[in-house]
Amino acid sequence: MVKYLGKRIFYIILTLFIVSTITFFLMKFMPGTPLTNQAKLTPSQIHQIYKQYGLDKPVWQQYLVYLAGVVHGNFGVSFQFSNQAVSYLIGSRMGPSLIIGGQGMIVGVLLGLVLGSLGAVKANTWIDTTSTIVSILLVSIPSFVLAVLLQYYLGLKLRWFPIADWGGFIYTVLPTMALAASPLAETARFMRTEMVDVLSSDYIELAKAKGLGKVGIIYHHALRNSLIPIITIIGPLTVNIMTGSMVVENIFSVPGIGEQFVKSVLTNDYPTIMGLTIVYCAMLCVVLLITDILYGLIDPRIRLSGQSN
Amino acid sequence: MADNAKPISTGDFKPVTAADRSHLDSEKISAPSLTFLQDSWRRLRKNKAAMIALIVLIILFILAFGSGFFETHNPNATNPNLANLPPKIPGIDINGFNGTIMQSGTRVNAYAQAHAGNAYYLLGTDYLGRDLFSRILYGTRISLEIALIASFFDLAFGVVYGIVSGWMGGRVDTIMQRIIEIMLSIPNLVVMVLLILVLKPGMSAIIYSIAITSWINMARLVRAQTLELKNQEFILAARALGESSLKISFKHLLPNLSSVIIINLMFTIPTAIFFEAFLSYIGIGISAPQASLGTLINDGQKNFQFLPYQMWYPAIVLSVLMIAFNILGDGLRDSFDPKSRE
Amino acid sequence: MKLNSLAKLGGVALLSAVVLAGCGSKSSQSGSKKQEISWMTPQSISTMDTSKMIDLYSAQVANGTNEGLLRMAKNNKVDPGVAKSYSVSKDGLTWTFNLRHSKWNDGTPVTAKDFVFSWQRTVKPKTASQYAYIFANIKNANQINKGKMSPSKLGVKAEGNYKFVVTLDKPQSYFKYMVTQPEFFPQNSKVVNKYGGDYGGNSTKNSYNGPFILKGWNGTNDTWKLVKNTKYWNAKKVKLQTINFQAVKTPSTALNSYNSNKLDYTTLSGTLAANNKNNKAYTVFPQASTTYLEFNQKKIPALRNVNIRKGMALAIDKKQMVNKVMQGGDILPKGFVPASMSKRNGKDFADQAYVKSGTDSNLTEAKKYFAKGLKQVGKKSLSLTLMGADDDDSKRATEFVQSQLTKLPGLKVTNQNIPFKTKLTRMENQQFDIGLSAWIADYPDPSNFLDLMVTNNSYNDGRWSNKKYDALVKKSENQDANNETARWNDMVQAEKILMNDQGLVPLYQQGQAALLRPSVKGVQAFTTSPQYDWAKASVK
Repeated sequence: MVKYLGKRIFYIILTLFIVSTITFFLMKFMPGTPLTNQAKLTPSQIHQIYKQYGLDKPVWQQYLVYLAGVVHGNFGVSFQFSNQAVSYLIGSRMGPSLIIGGQGMIVGVLLGLVLGSLGAVKANTWIDTTSTIVSILLVSIPSFVLAVLLQYYLGLKLRWFPIADWGGFIYTVLPTMALAASPLAETARFMRTEMVDVLSSDYIELAKAKGLGKVGIIYHHALRNSLIPIITIIGPLTVNIMTGSMVVENIFSVPGIGEQFVKSVLTNDYPTIMGLTIVYCAMLCVVLLITDILYGLIDPRIRLSGQSN
Repeated sequence: MADNAKPISTGDFKPVTAADRSHLDSEKISAPSLTFLQDSWRRLRKNKAAMIALIVLIILFILAFGSGFFETHNPNATNPNLANLPPKIPGIDINGFNGTIMQSGTRVNAYAQAHAGNAYYLLGTDYLGRDLFSRILYGTRISLEIALIASFFDLAFGVVYGIVSGWMGGRVDTIMQRIIEIMLSIPNLVVMVLLILVLKPGMSAIIYSIAITSWINMARLVRAQTLELKNQEFILAARALGESSLKISFKHLLPNLSSVIIINLMFTIPTAIFFEAFLSYIGIGISAPQASLGTLINDGQKNFQFLPYQMWYPAIVLSVLMIAFNILGDGLRDSFDPKSRE
Repeated sequence: MKLNSLAKLGGVALLSAVVLAGCGSKSSQSGSKKQEISWMTPQSISTMDTSKMIDLYSAQVANGTNEGLLRMAKNNKVDPGVAKSYSVSKDGLTWTFNLRHSKWNDGTPVTAKDFVFSWQRTVKPKTASQYAYIFANIKNANQINKGKMSPSKLGVKAEGNYKFVVTLDKPQSYFKYMVTQPEFFPQNSKVVNKYGGDYGGNSTKNSYNGPFILKGWNGTNDTWKLVKNTKYWNAKKVKLQTINFQAVKTPSTALNSYNSNKLDYTTLSGTLAANNKNNKAYTVFPQASTTYLEFNQKKIPALRNVNIRKGMALAIDKKQMVNKVMQGGDILPKGFVPASMSKRNGKDFADQAYVKSGTDSNLTEAKKYFAKGLKQVGKKSLSLTLMGADDDDSKRATEFVQSQLTKLPGLKVTNQNIPFKTKLTRMENQQFDIGLSAWIADYPDPSNFLDLMVTNNSYNDGRWSNKKYDALVKKSENQDANNETARWNDMVQAEKILMNDQGLVPLYQQGQAALLRPSVKGVQAFTTSPQYDWAKASVK
């Protein structure tokens, strides 16, 4: 286990190193500087600003300085907010994103499990058809459309939830719903397939033959065994949530990092783009690591490599 | 025990005629012989939902790529005097299609207000007076083009990557798998955004960035299948006969990989459509005056409160496209799956 | 300042200020309602360090929390601020401000030394202030800014604690407007030195001497509050207790929030504005800001031909653009210098300098001019790129202009929309063919616009050049600087030359359409920065 963990962590560090390097050099190709009024600045001012952002050194030195900074969690200074460290910017906007992302994931996966297993248990009935239609619809409607519809109908027309802004649980409901759609649909589809497989397997037949009740079979055998593979799709679902949050946060005025990423892209704020890219990768790496470990712990058939002796 | 067996008389036997012979041939296959693909097609045809999806897609493709014939107006011609007109279909007098719209609580005839005369727009006009119907057709075409080209690249690269990785095995495979693992832990949208920034927003940038990020799944599936096929007898036989690796991949591997590839493609296309719409929506996709479904939805979203049709129609088309591809993909997977054979 | 049309919200207006003041006459019932309003802004604050401020929204907040020597007032007047009174020497070069006894929010007095400290800090190169050039006319500012002179040589001095004297290089009648701007605000040296580079990075690392105090801004968040400053010298006149700010980036979200009473003010544009025109709360705040097209004469020789420029200018239907495309509070342009910004003897500068052909639209004439121009330069066709920023309004404007220009036979135009800052840099380096630009006045004086088109001005992106024009602008700034009539006439002549030669194409004069809840009275609005002033506002 320790050996396996060590290996995985090594790969995470390698990934982050490669990502930092690639983004750094990509961004160096891009036009754009922290200067807003270049034409009106004196050379000594320009020099001063470059120095402030560390842009006065040759590129390879900037690269080393940047890498050293990344190791210490320092991503440089934002072009948009003067004198504001990117790491502070990310840190102070991370909370809301984690809250709506986490809630969206939990709500989506839980509802998806219910919907998917209902569909499998009642296979080929109207319940199954409804569950399939719901999951196909939710996977096909883009989050930015769903968010606008939710805001208009549940927020403005019915006045059930606040339209936008941030400040307490009630404000997280609509963004959470918009984000939950995609994990809900994916989980439901995956769960249904898994459970149909499990329900037709030999040990379920055996349990039936032994005279176990239907509820008991579904709860003790089918559900548990179909749950395990669900863990493997948590990684891709995290990516969906990250993608969705970029527009959902914007539409609901959530002060999070997804909205900030899009804004940084649109304003060429390279230090923030680089910082957020690395943070997104790190988050995904950690999620993938955790799901792999969980998978190994829960499913006795899976042995983590490196653990074999 | 068999002592008191009943004696057999000659009357119990009769000669076998030619007609009887053909009947009794146990080796004979009574059903017509079907190839794998024919068999799958047969099963797909039985799947009503998938067939409907297929027909819907065919119709959308014809509309989008033949848009020159169907466009009622030039999709880029502006006419600000006729801006923001609601849908109007001549001869239909249902609210929503008769050119009227709610304005501060009362229903007014927007066409009369704008002095539009006999002009009509099937799905209304946008803020510059461009025909929304023609723009949606045009946008659908752009979305489909991007999705198809990106999927083609992703297919070509992913399949080759998967076959090479699986076929070569050993150290090459390990290294190629590590690269995939690293790619998997980078959110693909982030990669796309970075690439588009570097390549300058536009159609080709979107195609490249989608292609570069979406081949991984294809490569993984193809590799797994190749590993399985690699040790089967027919491949061994081909190897023993001294065929080159290249020839084996084309003649023997590819046909057997086709189902995996087709199924995966069916899921790659809607993903590519979604990403194109997403990128255009956040403002780094297709640039004006060109339209894609994403930019149309973004434009429509701004006026949703007053001119809901400007978002509804492109959003519906986008969703229908995605639904159709998803259902067709599901159907194909079922029909290719040997387990689901009756 | 170069204006991102996103920045439009900053706008402020004479007209509406008058209207608002008119509404506020029934003042007897004040105090019964909760004195709290919610204000929408499209962007978060980027910094509260007035030396480093580069955007309109931060400046807007700073004008609520701090105060300079004078305060901007309606009708191009200035109200006393930290200075009780001021006097100008006969030659117009020495300005003496008599300060009142006022306090920072920590209780320490605001003195003339705080102004000296602040102005020197902004000008010295080490601070790297991107707006330091606005001090250029103060004695020695340019030399200090280049690092060739010590900051202590700047032409400002504190005579005792409450007398502040400024020495200018050339007379500048509009200097009184400049000192109302955030760049000229005082800074509390103790607080600045305490926080160093972090000064102004959040609401606590700052000090305030204005009507309100900033609370709850952590440096990156999207909501914050302005709370009444009890230490403000004129605090008894400030009625509002709280202004809640909310940065909303999606216009339809802002409108939805207004409609559900979460906001009392929101900006509108395009269709949203058009559909709210009958709303009681609909208000237009005119701005001293012009959106215009620049032709790159350095890169594209054909654009040096006046007939080609005229043809293109006439081809654009500005009326349609204002009424059908932009649809907000924008109005038809009268020239480069915006209307109702500067008046003399009751006459508007824009009316006096009006040249019909410069802002007219006529497609048949346009085709004639353009064909003539093409013949003169010996070309059959032209293929040009139109560059604009990538915000909604710029995209709409460029899309429309493109569709209009392509009506000229032989002209092909493709659009390029890029981030605002990138667009600025590219245009300043002549990497464009035709560019969409906007300028908002830093102070209400025509010179603020006319200076831009002088041959060597770094904001003259298209490098249009006219000797007569240069001479007139120079004259207005030197020998006629102290002679109001002569100066005015010089500037009128200069604008006429610019428009007759079509050095640029004014497309529209910006006005901010907005919804401002009718119960909110007394918000002062100006056509130039610093935009809104809430010091006299109240809820009734």
